[in-house]
Amino acid sequence: MISKNLFLMIVLIIFFLCFVVLSLVRKDKIPIKYAIVWLFAIVILLFIILVPNLMTKISNFLGFELLSNMILSLFIGILLFITLALTVMISSQKKKITQLIQEVSILKKEVEEKK
Amino acid sequence: MKVLLIIPAYNEEESIKDTCEKIINYNKKHHQKLDFIVINDGSKDKTEQVLKENNYPHINLINNLGIGGAVQTGYKYALKNNYDIAVQFDGDGQHDINYIKKLIQPIIDNEQDFVIGSRFVENISEFKTSFLRRMGIKILTFFIKFTCGFNLKDTTSGYRAANQKVIKEFANSYPAEYPEPITTVEIVKKGYRVKEVGVNMKEREKGSSSIHTWKDAYYMINVCLSILIVGTRRYK
Repeated sequence: MISKNLFLMIVLIIFFLCFVVLSLVRKDKIPIKYAIVWLFAIVILLFIILVPNLMTKISNFLGFELLSNMILSLFIGILLFITLALTVMISSQKKKITQLIQEVSILKKEVEEKK
Repeated sequence: MKVLLIIPAYNEEESIKDTCEKIINYNKKHHQKLDFIVINDGSKDKTEQVLKENNYPHINLINNLGIGGAVQTGYKYALKNNYDIAVQFDGDGQHDINYIKKLIQPIIDNEQDFVIGSRFVENISEFKTSFLRRMGIKILTFFIKFTCGFNLKDTTSGYRAANQKVIKEFANSYPAEYPEPITTVEIVKKGYRVKEVGVNMKEREKGSSSIHTWKDAYYMINVCLSILIVGTRRYK
């Protein structure tokens, strides 16, 4: 079984995450598209606390000595995934910015020539 | 045939004037009309001022893009203005303008699509490199041969001429980092005709090289990996 404190901690994290992510979306700071990754993480956390026996079984099956160890590993996994997703986004944005700088600079030259 | 020299420049206030004057003199002497355009890659020194005062054709990038982004701007400009041939030419005085004819002749004759000026064929170049750097270039040569079967001797040469088809390719996509070896692999894999010709290169006259010794190992790992990955891409 999950210990009471761990249970409380996860509940707190879920509430906190939910609150932050949803309020960011409401204030239009991040689009739903990017919030999905975080909501996905919240769903996984929900699974952990709602079906504790399942989690214990999986943790035993995978050879974790403590359930909390598996949960921590899971967190790290989720974070790595989010980081990877962010790297992809940054790279595609970098490409777009490069294109913008190039096109604007060429246009600027042409405009200045016509003056 | 409309020919454009693309000259990327980052903090080249001391050597850019020399470079441009040499091209202008070459045009006068040989009754040629080689256009050139300096791509000022957000230089922090007086490069922009020098370009403006002397009325050299130039594009000021509104932000620093790095060598790949700067050169690609030149290719985009060449495509937009319907140039038949675009030649990459360094702003720091390394490249010898007198070899330009040799570089573009195979393209004019429609024998090649892409011609690379090389220090290591025909023994023309007076350029002396350190043992380690030669080793590095040899390793890259091996990797390129392994991935696309092309035997490229001077893997890092930035003195290269492209015809219209290749200009289009580069305007579309050009790697931001380590562009020279990677683009060669891409162009060969896409089935274009590539040739290396011997040219003269001098030691850098002024300014500082974009490759620093302490970064060389990191550079090598990155380039080798990039070549391998580009090698696994399918184009046709």
